[in-house]
Parts: sequence; structure tokens; C-alpha cells
Amino acid sequence: MQFGVFSVGDVTEDPTTGITVSEGERIKAMVRIALKAEEVGLDVFAQGEHHNPPFVPSSPTTQLGFIAAQTSKIILSTATTLITTNDPVKIAEDYAMLQHLADGRVDLMMGRGNTGPVYPWFGQDIRNGIQLAVENYALLRRLWREEVVDWEGKFRTPLQGFTSTPRPLDDVPPFVWHGSIRSPEIAEQAAYYGDGFFHNNIFWPITHTKRMIELYRQRFEHYGHGAADQAIVGLGGQIFMRKNSQDAVREFRPYFDNAPVYGHGPSLEDFSRETPLTVGSPQEVIERTLSFREHFGDYQRQLFLMDHAGLPLKTVLEQLDILGEEVVPVLRKEFAALKPAHVPDAPTHASLKAAAERAHDLETIE
Amino acid sequence: MNEKVIAVVTAGLTTPSSSRLLADQLAEAVRDELSGRGIGARIELIEVRDHAHDLTNNLLTGFPSASLREVLETVAGADALIVVSPTFSASYSGLFKMFFDVLDDQALAGKPVLLAATGGTERHSLVLEFALRPLFSYLKALPVATAVYAASTDWGPNAAGLRPRIAQAATELVAALHNETPTQADPFKNPTPFEDLLNS
Repeated sequence: MQFGVFSVGDVTEDPTTGITVSEGERIKAMVRIALKAEEVGLDVFAQGEHHNPPFVPSSPTTQLGFIAAQTSKIILSTATTLITTNDPVKIAEDYAMLQHLADGRVDLMMGRGNTGPVYPWFGQDIRNGIQLAVENYALLRRLWREEVVDWEGKFRTPLQGFTSTPRPLDDVPPFVWHGSIRSPEIAEQAAYYGDGFFHNNIFWPITHTKRMIELYRQRFEHYGHGAADQAIVGLGGQIFMRKNSQDAVREFRPYFDNAPVYGHGPSLEDFSRETPLTVGSPQEVIERTLSFREHFGDYQRQLFLMDHAGLPLKTVLEQLDILGEEVVPVLRKEFAALKPAHVPDAPTHASLKAAAERAHDLETIE
Repeated sequence: MNEKVIAVVTAGLTTPSSSRLLADQLAEAVRDELSGRGIGARIELIEVRDHAHDLTNNLLTGFPSASLREVLETVAGADALIVVSPTFSASYSGLFKMFFDVLDDQALAGKPVLLAATGGTERHSLVLEFALRPLFSYLKALPVATAVYAASTDWGPNAAGLRPRIAQAATELVAALHNETPTQADPFKNPTPFEDLLNS
């Protein structure tokens, strides 16, 4: 099982000090968080993509390339890559380029983006969100898998004799996750291709997340990629830890109360009951995270949101220390002991390359 | 005995409120009308006030709390609806609207609805026609022709005038109940096959 962090990249005032960091400081802080994630033994760093304030990461491959140069093990991913408003040709090129620079330590999570005004800035319309995700991703797959592409669709200018460069590293396209909170069509899309499905459940109750994941698993089996319990599932999580539970709650509450998205709404206690948010001791985080498996089955990737709502970098780095030292080693052991042998790990560049070579050898023998 | 579920959504703020008073009378009239036809009635009363915090939280977080979810499911599963709003600033109250803002926009499709409102003066009675009716038309519900407005005087000197309006609206709601309510397609049980999405 893979453990990691995902950062949305918001610039939010620290409600306890009134300090708002600059965009430059926030960008550098995200880099520090990624380096720290590798240092404490996490497997994945994923970052968001946004084209509107108060978010900074508009150019994920620039940032991930910079992080790739300073790391050697951690997988660099996105949460999410906007498959609706980005040109699929540019996604194909940017991430193949990143794959080469990062020696294959790259995968992507596709998302649609839920901010209406962003779409027209890129010549699109949010009402076409699903259709854009379907058409653009179908083209992206071909660009990575076919040397020369002739293509015509609804949303982008046609391609004649187009070759996306560079070709994916070892001719193995990056693994793709599809993220969607509420659209069954996206669970269907992930299942159809045998790609991964990530549910960012951090703002959602378990009952809802369960329906989405069950649908994805059933349809994964329907399309012949394996049994339902072999589908590739990722989940979000949101945690804040201190040695004593009460200290964690006291310190995190002002950030919670003023956070973007859910701030000024439900109480921390209500929200913790309804969503995966866990504010408490490392042991409480371990127990809560292990319980996800009982609802959603054995899954392959767990990403935690650690750095939003104006939390200072110093605090985030402390949190990553606790996560890496006290929480993830226990989770790794416990999850591994519970997972049946036929449930696969999340695909990596190495495993996809080996699978491609096996398929090629089989073809040669036949 | 055949039984119909009638959800009553009332958005009065005080206890007791005139909206609740009107809601109770409408519910009783519908129960009588049904029983006259040999049909039982299960009345599910929803005081929107009890869910005011949860409604705000739902707007902010995008999902209902467990208790609000139950209420929304009750409304979605009911055979018919009685809705009552106080008149605030020449329209339904904000709290009343919030309830229907967080309800799934397909939940009322094809459902008979009895519209009702209360107010201090009868000069606001057309609020039913220019505010409530368009809202429920948008939600693809089937509001019955007679909507009931009760002003302060309808609880005193004009009470005799209110009763036949309540009875008329109840008769229309029960008549509408005999039409088949279309069931909603569940995209989780029957997802659109991906080939159809690709070719659309």
C-alpha cells in the first residue's frame, strides 16, 4: 500500500497569527513538504492544479520537475490534473517529459475542476465537464500509446499525423487515477480502462464514498480487468496529531473553524464524525485509517491532506515527522497483514514496464 | 390497507407558529380525504427550523448530516408533499428555500404538492403564485391548482372562509395521488455504459 500527502496549494491566512504567506513562500513550502515526505519515508507526493487565487499551483510539472531533481524515491503525482480545461496534447507532452526527468516516478490523477468561471478562461463550458473528461482522456491515451495519431473530436482542433514527444519513458505511459467525488460517469470511465479510482472523501460521508467505490469495483470486474476486489482504489484523509488528543483539538480548532470549504459551518466534532477528518493522537489516526478498509475493501493508496487552512510550514513539517515515524510504519504492517495475496499493489512504472515486457514475450512466443 | 406517505414541510419559526397550525389542518384534511377513499395516511411532519444548522452546514460542506439526510430521504420517498412557508419580505422565507436548495433537484419530479403560505396580511396572498409555484414547477413537481394562504384574520373572523379552501386543496392533492409517480433512475444501479459516453 502507498502512503502519501496531497496538497491543494491554497494561500490562506493563519487565523491564529493573521499572517498570510506570499505566493513565493507557499510554492517553496510545497517543495519543502514534498522533500520532507520523501525524507520521512512516504511513497507519494501529489499536488493540485488551479488557475485562480487563492491557489498557487498553476504549473504542476514545473514544480514536480523541480522536486524530482531533489528526490530519488518518492512518486510524484497530481490531485488533480484538469482533464477538462487542459489540452490533452499538452498533458501528454508535459507528463511524458516529467516521466523521463523523474526516471518514471510519475503518475497522474485526472479531475474535472468544479469552479465554473475557470472553464470559459480556457474556452470551455462547465456543462460539458463529463464529455470533456471522456473525449480528452480518450485522446490522451492514444497520444501516449500510438506513435502517429490522426484524430478528430468535438472540443479540440483535429490532429493529422501527429506524434507527441517525448514518447513515454520505456514506452510505458504513466499510470492514471480518476478522481471524482460525485459523478458515477467517472467511476465508470476508470473501470472501463482498468485505471485507478481515487475518491477524495475528506469532505464526504462514508455512505456516499462507499457507493462510488462499489460502483467502480463492480464495473472494473464487468469490463474484465479482474475481480471487483482487485480494482485499484485510492482514498483521501485529513489528520492533525499531537501526543495528547486534547492538545491536537485545541491547536487545530481555529484552523478548522476558519478553513476554506467547510469553515464557519459544522463543528469540528460533527465534521469528524461525518468525514474521515481525525484530530487526535497518532494512535487515533492509526485506528481511524485502518477502519477505512472495513468500508471500502483493501485499497492501494492513502493520501493525507496536511497543509491547508493556513497551517504554518513548521507545523506541517512536524506533522509529517509524526506521520512518517509513528503512523505509517504501523499502518503498513497492519494493512499488509490484512491484505489477501490476490489483491494487487498500485501499479508503478517498474511494474507496468515488467507487465509490458511479459505481454511482449508472450506475443513473440505465439 | 393501502397507505400513502404524505411529507409535510413547514418553515414557521415560532412555537406555536401559524405555519404549523395551517400545516396540521392541511394534513388532517388530506388524511380525511384519503380515509374517505379507504386509503390510510402516514403523515411525516418536518419542521424546517429543527434542521436550520444542518441546512447551513450542508450549503457550506456540500453534504447533509446524517439526520438531515434522513429527512431529505423521507421527502424524496413520500407520495405527496404539503409545504408551508411564512411570507418574508414578499416571498417564501430564506429557511424554507434552503430546504429545497439542498434537496436533490430530481427528488420532487412528478410528485403532487400542496402549496401553502402564511402571513400577517392577506395582501401577500399571491406569494403562492409568483414565488412558490414557479419554484415547484422548476423542481418538476406537480403543484395542485388550489394553493392555501392564511393571514392573521383567517384564524379569527375569517376562519369559516379558510376551511373550504383547505378542503378543496386536500381533495385536489388526493386526486393527483392517483396518477402514477414516475420513479427516478438510479445512476449507481444502472450506470451509463462507457461506450455510450464515448459516442455521445
